[in-house]
Amino acid sequence: MTTKLLAQAVGLATIFACTTVAPAWAQSITIAIGSEPSTLDPQLRDDGGERQVNDNIYETLMARTPTGELVPGLAAAVPTQVDATTWQFKLREGVKFHNGEPFNADAVVASVTRVIDPANNSEQMAYYGTIKGAEKVDDLTVNLVTNGPDPILPSRLYWMKMIAPGYSKDGDLAGAPVGTGPYKFESWNRGTDLTLVANSDYWRGEPEIDGVTYRFVTEPGTRLSGLLSGEFDVITNLLPEFTESVPKFAAVRSLETSVFVLGTDNEVTKDPKVRQALNLAIDRQSMVESLFMGYASVAKGSHINPAAVGFNEKLEPYPYDIEKAKALIKEAGAEGKPLVVVGESGRWLKDREQIEAVAGYWAETGLQVTTDIQEFSQYLESLMGDGPRPDSIFIANSNELLDADREMSFIYHKDGAAASNSDAEMAAMIEAARTETDAAKRKSIYDQIQQKGHELSYTVPLFNLQDIYGLSERMEWQPRVDAKMIVSEMKVAE
Amino acid sequence: MATSSTHVPSAAAASGLRGAIAELWQDKAAAVGLVIILLLILMAVFAPLIAPYDPAAQAITARLKPPVWMARGTWDHLLGTDNLGRDVLSRIIWGARATLTIGAVTCLLAATLGTLVGLWAGFAGGRTDTLLMRIVDIQVSFPGIFLILLVVAMLGPGIWTLVAVLSMTNWMVYARLIRGIVSSTRQTPYVEAAELIGCKPGRVIFRHILPNLVSPLLTLAILEFTNIVLAEAAVSFLGFGVQPPATSWGLDVASGRDYLFIAWWLVTFPGLTIVATVLSINLFANWLRVTADPEERERRFARAEAAKRRRRTRGANA
Repeated sequence: MTTKLLAQAVGLATIFACTTVAPAWAQSITIAIGSEPSTLDPQLRDDGGERQVNDNIYETLMARTPTGELVPGLAAAVPTQVDATTWQFKLREGVKFHNGEPFNADAVVASVTRVIDPANNSEQMAYYGTIKGAEKVDDLTVNLVTNGPDPILPSRLYWMKMIAPGYSKDGDLAGAPVGTGPYKFESWNRGTDLTLVANSDYWRGEPEIDGVTYRFVTEPGTRLSGLLSGEFDVITNLLPEFTESVPKFAAVRSLETSVFVLGTDNEVTKDPKVRQALNLAIDRQSMVESLFMGYASVAKGSHINPAAVGFNEKLEPYPYDIEKAKALIKEAGAEGKPLVVVGESGRWLKDREQIEAVAGYWAETGLQVTTDIQEFSQYLESLMGDGPRPDSIFIANSNELLDADREMSFIYHKDGAAASNSDAEMAAMIEAARTETDAAKRKSIYDQIQQKGHELSYTVPLFNLQDIYGLSERMEWQPRVDAKMIVSEMKVAE
Repeated sequence: MATSSTHVPSAAAASGLRGAIAELWQDKAAAVGLVIILLLILMAVFAPLIAPYDPAAQAITARLKPPVWMARGTWDHLLGTDNLGRDVLSRIIWGARATLTIGAVTCLLAATLGTLVGLWAGFAGGRTDTLLMRIVDIQVSFPGIFLILLVVAMLGPGIWTLVAVLSMTNWMVYARLIRGIVSSTRQTPYVEAAELIGCKPGRVIFRHILPNLVSPLLTLAILEFTNIVLAEAAVSFLGFGVQPPATSWGLDVASGRDYLFIAWWLVTFPGLTIVATVLSINLFANWLRVTADPEERERRFARAEAAKRRRRTRGANA
């Protein structure tokens, strides 16, 4: 009995001792993410869960600061252009992969060659379509060659993770990744959790947090209660309503802009007056204040992300003027005509609510509005399939490359996957801008395109959304605008 | 449920409506159940007259207002407002239409189809039985969600598509149950006797076998009703069924789920309505089951008599 008590006392003393010296000790955190990675191969899938983990294991030639500025990563400096289709990268010296392989020109060539190899059929080709190949110049110099002039190649390389050439041949890339990043892979219990440990040889210096465990929790409610009970340190996609109930939270402007794409060739929406009325009928400011509790901002007259290169800052948000909207509908002779609102549910922050609310506003203009919430695969078919274009379709569009070309090619270009117009002139402008290497000229073309899209109301831009993270009391972290969760930028205060 | 009792010329029906009411009154819980069911049906039918607001009328700035008895609640919205500022009470009243229609019609269709197949298989036996039951097996093993996708792609989403799909994915359980009972009932002397004296199969099935099925059918149909309500909610939330601005109780529960921590009334009130409906149907059906089954009626009568006698003796002793 006495011994037992004594043992307990000693145990307690040890615990106290540990807490007092804690700052110098090992710190490990737990992050709850919404989906489990489908693979840990960094070059095959376009998978958010995979990126959330691999962003800490792998690095890229170009990186971004937390505020979104493009800076050299594994490249020693910003690349120089040799000619219109060739970019030269100088590489950082002395960087090693977790398995000891050196990072050099061979690694870059191997990474580029593997990701663009048609045999691998990588989903990431949407980002790298313009890349033709990579050539080694010397051990620390690489030339990247594109199919045509590609002014945003550096932005594209911010997305491409560098793999170890030897390990990619004989190692288990999908199950046990090896990168150059601040964290090393430790274990992955499929369906349960995934653990990383700090890389003590990291070239920028060992990160502050020693270990991180990812847990895969689909239900937002479960993530929230896990955070409240102290099980998790960081949770993703916190609803604005819960910012008051969690110990700490951090919000940051996200990459996503919610928008309705209007079918400019459809019976009712082909009339620019009707499209303008749809834009004027929505009280966006009220929606920001109540639905998002301020954690979103009204889109500035176009669906291009304000942080993207090529964003036209001169446009103003569409005002809320229901009377004018009603008058325009009457003028167009569209009163009582049918308008179908297509959308989905449960994929993006408050998607269903945005769709229902907007449909409600539109019904007030005098149109006969029907809402069609579709199952996600069916919705994708409506959005990007070959069938007839819907009158209006909702999307929360994400711009990972932070370049206007992304949203333009996707939604404004008449052949874009989610485009609902047949404006050949606009398509030609987008193509001209895509290959324009003079930054000022390129910007002015993008400004014109946005001006036109705004005047003709090709889209109904809604909100620039924010990402909200729930944090435990001890966490200190300013989230990034590119939505990456870089653990080496987090701190634990204790 | 109503159809099953019309098939059965039970004593209750024979002794007239007044007799039935008197008999029902003996079982207070069942009587209350029936009253609630009737009220819910009336509520659904007269929704436009009863509901204080248009269920689709949104007021974004007045969202997530709590019920009247809470601190921020107002008399304008008795049960509060939902995530788009719509009146929860009005949505429950209007939602009754979709939920009750889908639940009742689906149960009816699925039970009818399942019962017919089960009767036929159990009565015919042999190769017909094997063939029909294999069809049931195939249908059971076919993934429901896939079938839903297929049908919705063809017909487009909506209440009646949903009824069709849910009936198609739920009739098998009836067929299996009925077939089992029929094949055992066929061996009983009274059925054999009926066949011996030359009754046509139709008469044997509907006069002699079907009455035995009423109580298990009722029990099963009630259990299934709950399933249908929940299935409808899940399917509507994904975008296969009820489309906004229309609503159903299940859909409201599903959409309010994310707000459970801060606005419990979004989930609680439609949820309670579902509970009340299922419970009432259960209580009433339990009474109906006993009433429809001659043996059970006998037992119930005996119990009531015994209780009466005990009370009398106790009274005499005191």
